Amino acid sequence: MEIRTEPGRQEPKIVILAGAESEELRRLADSLSRLTLGPIPVSRGEEKLLLPQGDFLRFYADGKGVSAQTAGEVYAVPLRLYELEEQLDAARFVRISNAEIINLSRVTAVDLSLSGTICMTLDEAVKVYVSRRYVKKIKETLNLGRRKRNGGG
Amino acid sequence: MGEDKWAWLVRILAGGTAGLLAALILIPYLMDTRLVDPAVCMLCAGLGGAAGVATLPFADDGKQLLLHSGIHFAVTSALFVLLMARFYGRDWGVLLLLEGLLAVLYALIWLGRWIGWYVEVMRLRTLLGLDAGPSPLKWRETLPYLPFVLLLCDILPLVLRWVEHKINGGWIDIPVLSALILPFVLMPAGGFFAGVSLGKRQGVCPLYPAACFVCCLPMLSLVSTAELFHCFLAAVPALAGNILGWMYRRAVPRKERSDGSHC
Repeated sequence: MEIRTEPGRQEPKIVILAGAESEELRRLADSLSRLTLGPIPVSRGEEKLLLPQGDFLRFYADGKGVSAQTAGEVYAVPLRLYELEEQLDAARFVRISNAEIINLSRVTAVDLSLSGTICMTLDEAVKVYVSRRYVKKIKETLNLGRRKRNGGG
Repeated sequence: MGEDKWAWLVRILAGGTAGLLAALILIPYLMDTRLVDPAVCMLCAGLGGAAGVATLPFADDGKQLLLHSGIHFAVTSALFVLLMARFYGRDWGVLLLLEGLLAVLYALIWLGRWIGWYVEVMRLRTLLGLDAGPSPLKWRETLPYLPFVLLLCDILPLVLRWVEHKINGGWIDIPVLSALILPFVLMPAGGFFAGVSLGKRQGVCPLYPAACFVCCLPMLSLVSTAELFHCFLAAVPALAGNILGWMYRRAVPRKERSDGSHC
């Protein structure tokens, strides 16, 4: 383990050096990225929890407030959508309509209806509808994520 | 006033002005008159305004898009039919034909827009690391069937007509092969069964029946026994077969189909 300090650096950057890619390495990188991104405070009844960002499929406004959906549960979130946008990983989470933010790494299908509605499926179960006004932003976010994965930024 | 409303207003005014200018400049030339009917000017300005906002409904999606697009088409077609009535009078046949042409133009614009959206979805799929999916309107998936369509709708009629000439020395009473067997048996059956095969493999491919229709058209001028309804005799069974194949594909899961093929 080696830690280097760089005066003037704003955010920490973790580099893993290895001979070849492997499943273990991918899991390690995934765990580290979860640690570096701040967990999101949520509540389920009286219970207050802090969940890692990677666990969430989507955040959505449901009239009463903001809810967060994971693979198995729906939680209440004490934040507004715009506040969440500031806290969430910008390369992974993106707003797809006025009332919804989704985790792009959990998208398993994208479909187009005859009337031009774009439907995304999260974890092969949850269907969400993309407003066309946000498509450009989604593409920018995906390009940003791609650049990050390829080692830039 | 909201940004969207401003966009609508500016485009209506710009389009209306262009329509009015077009009426004032073009109609004296076209109608060989110095007087331009004020009603025609108003209708041209209205049509110009409608053309100006033609692309704005496409910024919406889902029900809003259908609603706005439907209203736009209703307004445009009403203005268009009123304008045409000023030129052609109450000749309902001509007016209906012109309305039909406008509807076809509208459908083509919609199709073009839909293909644009589909290409956007393919790009999203690629960026997400998913399979890009079939090509727009499945043109690439339909391409392998094009040689068969050309054979059925173009080469076969020419060959059969040539055979009829050879057999009967250029004079025949009833061209059985090219006027009966080909359009009533070979083309419907060929189009249908190839459509079933394509439907089973790729689902609904709208370009396949369209290709059958279009490929039959040159025969109207090349083969003396060819008729326009022969194009429908190829295209309609092709569409029916394609839909039947697609229904089979949906009803029988892929695994079952491949298991069955081993038996």
